Amino acid sequence: MNLYTYIIRRICYVIPVLMGVSLLIFLLFNVVAGDPTVVMLGKYATAKQMAELRHQLGLDRPWFIQYLDILKSVFTFDFGRSWATQQSIIAMLKSGAWVSLTLVTPSLIITSLLAICLAFLSAFFRNSLLDRGLVMLSIIMTSISSLAYILFGQWLFGYKLGWFPIAGYEYEFPDFITYVMLPSIILIIVNIGYDIRFYRTMVLDEIYRDYVRTARAKGLPEWLVLFRHVLSNVLIPIVTNLIMQLPAFLLGTLLTESFFSIPGLGGIVFHAINSTDFPVIKAITILSAMFYLVLNLVTDIIYTLLDPRIKLS
Amino acid sequence: MKPTLSTRRMMAYIGIVLFLLALGVLWRYRKQKSGAIKSVKVLVTCNEGKIKSLDPIKAADTYSCREISKVYEGLLEYHYLKKPYELIPNLAEAMPTVSEDQLVYTFQLKKGVKFHDDPCFSGGKGRELTAQDFVYSLKRFADPKLQSPTFMLLDNKIQGLNEWREKYKDTDAIDYTEDIAGVQALDRYTLRFTLTTPDPQFLHILALFPCYVVAQEAVQYYGKDFGNHPVGTGPFMLKFYEPQHSKITYYKNPTFRDKYFPSEAADEYQHMLAYAGQKLPLVDSMITHIITEEHPKWLSFNKGNIDVISIMADRISVEVKTNEALANSLKSKEVKVFEVPSVSTSFFVFNHTHPLFKNNLKLRQAMSLAFDRERYNQLFNNNTATLAQSIIPPGLPGYQADYINPYCVYDVQKAKQYLIEAGYPGGKELPTITLDAWTGTMQKQQAEFFQKCMQAIGIKVNVVCNNFPELSKKINNKATMMHAIAWSADYPDAITFLGLLYGPYQKSSEGVGVNFDDPAFNKLFEQAATIPDVSARTVLYEQLNQMAAEKLPVIYMIHPLHISLHQGWIKNYLWSDFHYGSEQYFDVDLETKQALSVHYAR
Repeated sequence: MNLYTYIIRRICYVIPVLMGVSLLIFLLFNVVAGDPTVVMLGKYATAKQMAELRHQLGLDRPWFIQYLDILKSVFTFDFGRSWATQQSIIAMLKSGAWVSLTLVTPSLIITSLLAICLAFLSAFFRNSLLDRGLVMLSIIMTSISSLAYILFGQWLFGYKLGWFPIAGYEYEFPDFITYVMLPSIILIIVNIGYDIRFYRTMVLDEIYRDYVRTARAKGLPEWLVLFRHVLSNVLIPIVTNLIMQLPAFLLGTLLTESFFSIPGLGGIVFHAINSTDFPVIKAITILSAMFYLVLNLVTDIIYTLLDPRIKLS
Repeated sequence: MKPTLSTRRMMAYIGIVLFLLALGVLWRYRKQKSGAIKSVKVLVTCNEGKIKSLDPIKAADTYSCREISKVYEGLLEYHYLKKPYELIPNLAEAMPTVSEDQLVYTFQLKKGVKFHDDPCFSGGKGRELTAQDFVYSLKRFADPKLQSPTFMLLDNKIQGLNEWREKYKDTDAIDYTEDIAGVQALDRYTLRFTLTTPDPQFLHILALFPCYVVAQEAVQYYGKDFGNHPVGTGPFMLKFYEPQHSKITYYKNPTFRDKYFPSEAADEYQHMLAYAGQKLPLVDSMITHIITEEHPKWLSFNKGNIDVISIMADRISVEVKTNEALANSLKSKEVKVFEVPSVSTSFFVFNHTHPLFKNNLKLRQAMSLAFDRERYNQLFNNNTATLAQSIIPPGLPGYQADYINPYCVYDVQKAKQYLIEAGYPGGKELPTITLDAWTGTMQKQQAEFFQKCMQAIGIKVNVVCNNFPELSKKINNKATMMHAIAWSADYPDAITFLGLLYGPYQKSSEGVGVNFDDPAFNKLFEQAATIPDVSARTVLYEQLNQMAAEKLPVIYMIHPLHISLHQGWIKNYLWSDFHYGSEQYFDVDLETKQALSVHYAR
């Protein structure tokens, strides 16, 4: 099957998945969740005003019409406006995504490069003091809560040493770089321990295979065996891990964003949940589902490029 | 692919460039910081919550209102330096003339007041404020399509306003040109309100943020984005605002009218009169950081990056008052602590539609006696709060500082005795009481503390934690047995608290869900609510407060303390629940800031 046919077929698979996601969202917000008008009207809410607001928001329409609205937004990308801020949701998410990317991209790249290098170093000197030390350090780094890193980082580098701003963000380039440096370093420290252990395990899995033994038997130096032969074979789990981390990185840095007052996607999600801003939550859920599906597709395609034995079918 | 030499070199170059760029940015940041103290007065404040909207009629939370009042203004405001709170004209030329029947209020507006310069006006220049702007703003407040969360404040108060609202409830084309009998612009500068019934609180409501004036041009120009493009008449204006951003920068409004620092003050604020007669606002610009977490806010303040912060009661107690090194450090920096009782009361509400509580005063008294307020205050507020004896909090007319409610004293033996008299000796045959609380960690712990107190007299309490919509829904549906809630004043009149216990109000408004309906209380309340004279009204408020204390429709907990810190270079700082827009009175003393900067330099 050629690449284009494969992509078209996968896109067709996406449609029922998105319909399922939209149904789940609909049930979650229209059946399980509480009445949003209570939060919107606050302490002065009266039953009459709540009923009027429900009518205005279209929450008293038949369920299937409300579901069709969600379904329509999946295909048109018109998610309307936020109930809380009245902003266009797409504009809000674009702005938040850009901010999150400025924070996440450097940390994801540096974390991955460092973790791959250290994992290979660890595997190269396997069972040595260096290897054990690195594994131990990774376990310790993974065990410490990210909150501890944030609090300590802000206190030491922001408050005591004054190297970085304690909190805040600027949209302009290059001003934002100053503000994302410390949170990025913290994100690297938070995530690198897990990545080192994961990649080290992958490398060690490969290192005892026949082709590695053959390469060594041919007299190739160990570093060449590792970086040329082993690396090309562990690229698939590395790429999978890297790509699948991206959505979690984008939406999951809530704590870092909150403590550093960075107006990214995590904060938008948190604020939307707090203010029962259903349209924003719906949009983020649908878009993240789409993002995951697209990334899955990209991963599959990259597999075929990295390993000619893998065929698209 | 094996990297070639040129690829390796290129990567090394990229690395070096990135490293230099990072160093350059850091150097620039440090240079900006070191050169921050100049001749420009910049006030740096902090807001602890996300801003929902900068549209006066859409905001209902303190965080948004504090920002709105930097940009917008109303007819009246509270005198900055007087105690008790005194309403004074703001956009009005003078206090209104009031008809004999207390129904007609006529205002003369200040002349020459300009809206901020903004592209929504012809030529980008703000036009003059007129009485018609207030008529438009009030109609907008009542617009059924906009569903202002605070409309309850004017509900059924102004002649014709509710009818106008009802008329356009189901249509999209709302006619703003249609006359409303109760809101009339008599000429360019004369505004008349006609009320449905006499209401001594009406002027307080006009001083509130939903009644701030907006320009029709701005509303039409920005449409649905109006909440993110504030155009008012206030002392500060915004050039750029995005709701998600964690920083808001305000600039002094260059066309702000001649408004001066007050020349009269209560005794405790006499020292501020050194500024009397100076033109407002006193600072050139203002930056508000939105920092929702305590830790970075505290560090930023200690670093001198923020001038004013509010702090939680446990932080002040643990850090500022008990940590000697920190207290000395703050003292050397000349940091000032400002404490004022917050006009708020928290309580455990008995739902009076539940037969268990409705006619069982002894049970309510027993439960109140078994609740250890002092320990509660120690555990959750580090002894900073005032123990509540009744519903009216300190700072409002009707509050009696020396009044001790005999049922708000912790006495387990007496509580057990009352429980016997209530018909439930040792709590036997008393069904398990469900206490609904909000799901926050602190709220859960507070509810569990109540549970423990009740356990001491044999009452079983089941704590159920709910998210906010769930809890509100239960309260609105009268589906709780008991629930924990707090109430803050909208304006400095005890009616905002006593109204929570007034029977007829509870049929139309949910309030705190107490559903208490006592004819004697209702009668006295009706009498008090219409008396125009404050001192005469206060006498009745005191009686109502005592009735509320004795009848125990709720278990009174505490009145919290508001604590804020400000840097030594900030002058004229004070905080209250009702002083919105007070930043126009703050000054930044640049000489003191320069002198104190040695304590912050590293």
